Amino acid sequence: MKLSQLVFKSMQKNMRHYYLYFFALIFSVTLFFSFVTLQYNESIIAATKVSGTASSGFEAASYMLYFIVLFFVLYANHLFIKRRSKEIGLYQLIGMTKGLVTRLIAFENILLFIGAVSIGMVLGLLSSRLFAMILLKLLQFDAVVTMTFSKVAVVNTLMVFGVLLVIILVQMAFMVRKTTLLSLFNASKQADERVKSFSVFPMMMGAIGLGLIIYGYYRSTVLFTGQTTNLFLSMVIILATTIGGTYLVFRFSVAFLLNLFRLTKKGHLNLTDVLALTPIMHRMKGNAKSLTLITVLTAVSLAITTLSYISYYSASSSAEDEMPADYIAVDGREEPFIQALKQEGIAFEQKTFRLTSAQFDLATIFSGDVIGMFQGNTLSDALIIPLSDYHQLNSKVQLNKGEAIITGFSGFQSNIMPIEAPIDLTLLHQESEIPLRIKEVNDTAVLAWRVTAGGFIVVVEDSVFNQLQRLNSEYAIGYSTQEQTSINLTNADEETYKQVEKLYKQTGANVLFKSHEGSTVNKLSSQRSTVEYNLNLFGTTIFTTAFLGLAFLLATGSILYFKQMSEADEEAESYRILRKIGFTQDELLKGIMMKQLFNFGVPLLIGLLHSYFAVRSGWFLFGTEMTTPLLITMTLYIVMYIVFASLTISYYKKIIKQAL
Amino acid sequence: MSILIARKVRKTYGKRSLAQEVLKGIDLEVEKGEFVGIMGPSGSGKTTLLNVLCSIDQVTDGFVEINGQKLQGMKERTLAKFRRDELGFIFQDYNLLDTLTVKENILLPLSLSTIPKAAAEKRLQDLVSILGISDILSKYPNEISGGQKQRTSAARALISNPSLVFADEPTGALDSKTATALLDNLSEINKAKNATIMMVTHDAVAASFCSRVLFLKDGQIYTELYKGDKSRTEFFQQILNTQSVLGGEQGEA
Repeated sequence: MKLSQLVFKSMQKNMRHYYLYFFALIFSVTLFFSFVTLQYNESIIAATKVSGTASSGFEAASYMLYFIVLFFVLYANHLFIKRRSKEIGLYQLIGMTKGLVTRLIAFENILLFIGAVSIGMVLGLLSSRLFAMILLKLLQFDAVVTMTFSKVAVVNTLMVFGVLLVIILVQMAFMVRKTTLLSLFNASKQADERVKSFSVFPMMMGAIGLGLIIYGYYRSTVLFTGQTTNLFLSMVIILATTIGGTYLVFRFSVAFLLNLFRLTKKGHLNLTDVLALTPIMHRMKGNAKSLTLITVLTAVSLAITTLSYISYYSASSSAEDEMPADYIAVDGREEPFIQALKQEGIAFEQKTFRLTSAQFDLATIFSGDVIGMFQGNTLSDALIIPLSDYHQLNSKVQLNKGEAIITGFSGFQSNIMPIEAPIDLTLLHQESEIPLRIKEVNDTAVLAWRVTAGGFIVVVEDSVFNQLQRLNSEYAIGYSTQEQTSINLTNADEETYKQVEKLYKQTGANVLFKSHEGSTVNKLSSQRSTVEYNLNLFGTTIFTTAFLGLAFLLATGSILYFKQMSEADEEAESYRILRKIGFTQDELLKGIMMKQLFNFGVPLLIGLLHSYFAVRSGWFLFGTEMTTPLLITMTLYIVMYIVFASLTISYYKKIIKQAL
Repeated sequence: MSILIARKVRKTYGKRSLAQEVLKGIDLEVEKGEFVGIMGPSGSGKTTLLNVLCSIDQVTDGFVEINGQKLQGMKERTLAKFRRDELGFIFQDYNLLDTLTVKENILLPLSLSTIPKAAAEKRLQDLVSILGISDILSKYPNEISGGQKQRTSAARALISNPSLVFADEPTGALDSKTATALLDNLSEINKAKNATIMMVTHDAVAASFCSRVLFLKDGQIYTELYKGDKSRTEFFQQILNTQSVLGGEQGEA
């Protein structure tokens, strides 16, 4: 028999072993190819042009995707070879040289790759259309997706998987070379741990693991506060403690706790203990690494997906923070705009805020921790508006003499450096000092973000305002903007908004700042275009991150599934014994369900916890709403895990059924 | 009183033209307290007969009745419960679960029963003291010898006080000394607890511990021998003689 014949024969007979690996390959190609096709699609390029970061985002994501695919395929290949160790051993036993065995498997792998890449590309082309539609929907971009077969994408995918094939071949050749006949026959039996008896070491290590995780969580909650002096170092510490802690928990705590529980039973185990508890305990040593990896990957992808979803979800509310009115004009530039609106008969209402500036010492309102960040330079500008103007927004506010309120204090600022009212604040202007008592701090957006540049606004009595205005007319400090007019359309429809958008630009009402020579012009955007811009910017981000999240999720889920498949194969013998001595299939399946609850549930639970703390530590940098996006993404992950767990259980069901 | 009654049991493997009849109509009765051996050359249908009798495999024709209950017509689920409550098993390759200690392995059949822990513990202590494995209860199967594994397996088979214990080549993987010790244990339990045991073996020495030995040839019962009042050595000689008449592969005996 020729080598090629042997290969075909063995592939035919071993379809069951191949199909898993083959599926993993096809899946990777599909995912990668559809993503790359998308990257080079004309309509997508057109849609994402608006945000300049999109193409680099796509590129970064494709590198990430390559790593996911690499990691996933390497893992699948590793499992695949392990499952076939007996076959490889047998070839060597009948006198094949290692070189010949390597060539045999290499030949197989090349065949598998050719098949998988062809099938995967076809599937990828089909699925990329779906992904493209999702992306354009996210960008609120109305366009018919025309899917073209991109040559660049094909070449790209072929190259990537060509390189991957070479890596796989090297991995495999290495594995065949380094294994002895004996170890090949035993490969599937390795990594069993006999938990012998009560010992202090695992208990200590397990406790340290838990401690590390809790410490990491604690550090994450204070990450963006004054307590953190070195942000990068803190992040490294948090990552190291949580990941290390997770490993220790899986490696030591789980088996230890289960063993304690088991000892209390004094040998009288129930069936669930037999089917779930003891196998988990015994496999923990071998599984700790992969469970840690899966947990961390789940946490990372979940956190990234959630954060980008937070950005997308908050696109309109953060636009409202940036642009608190439909249209905003400053320093009297609204006049021609208002005239135009009146001419067109468009109903609107306007609010005008007079502005002036003062200085204050940051050290007087922020705690010592925060002040450290300013490195001694604590003199800052504040925008001041009079109470009578503020009444346009909230007519109920009354100020006694010497009182003031702080408004427009929101977002990450208020999270990082909170101010608690009541507090004393002294406004400064050269030699003048105006002591004030801040009686309230709120997050109402009054002025455009481009006007405040992120600073907060102090609402003062009109007399104080007039005094500061007078001082500034003699010697101007701080902000140059003297007045802001907010214009909101009433009962306007889509068409009107489009028309007004044009007027806003034509009349020059959107100019924020113009240098004397007219060379530099800073412009404001309407609230609507800000929302659009945000959606566009975050739409691409959320798409790429969601795509990566999906890839991560499918990869981790599949790995858990593959692992459980080979575990089921290894334990078929136990199920045969149990069925022989009289346990029904249903009874066995109940125990298996408990085992899967652990296998999928624990990495998911710890992953969810990790990602919750990761998101909580810095979500305010990304948007204005945490709970809903977090819950939605978490639910999605839980559902996907349930799907994988059900697949696993149905595989076990098959194994149990066939066992006798 | 008959514990086991089998009538016209036939078993065919494969379909139509490829069909091979392994059991060709077997009639058999086993009384309570008997220690029955089944012998025969390789391929005579010993193990198939045992599997069919103990409900792990289905008959093609005929029926099997254990303790007055007919196995044919029982549902899969009922059969499993029946095996758990009424039958005990000892296999050639021990069939112990690697992840459980000796004690946990022995108590396994009781894991779904309602027997109180104290009662279960008493049964366990009873058995392990007869079998001499009291001091390895907390060990794992890979830490004990083959003989100890097989005793553990025997204890597991007996823990539920079954009506009938099936043993499939229990001494097959043991050296002769260990095998003899195990068989001594089995016949002691057979006498002391009045347990009914049915054992498949191709080893004449093992068979000589039984009270009755059935010889199978080509799927039919060829003959049977009763030990009666004979000594074990005499019975052993008689078994050897029968085997040589039977022909086939006796070299292994």
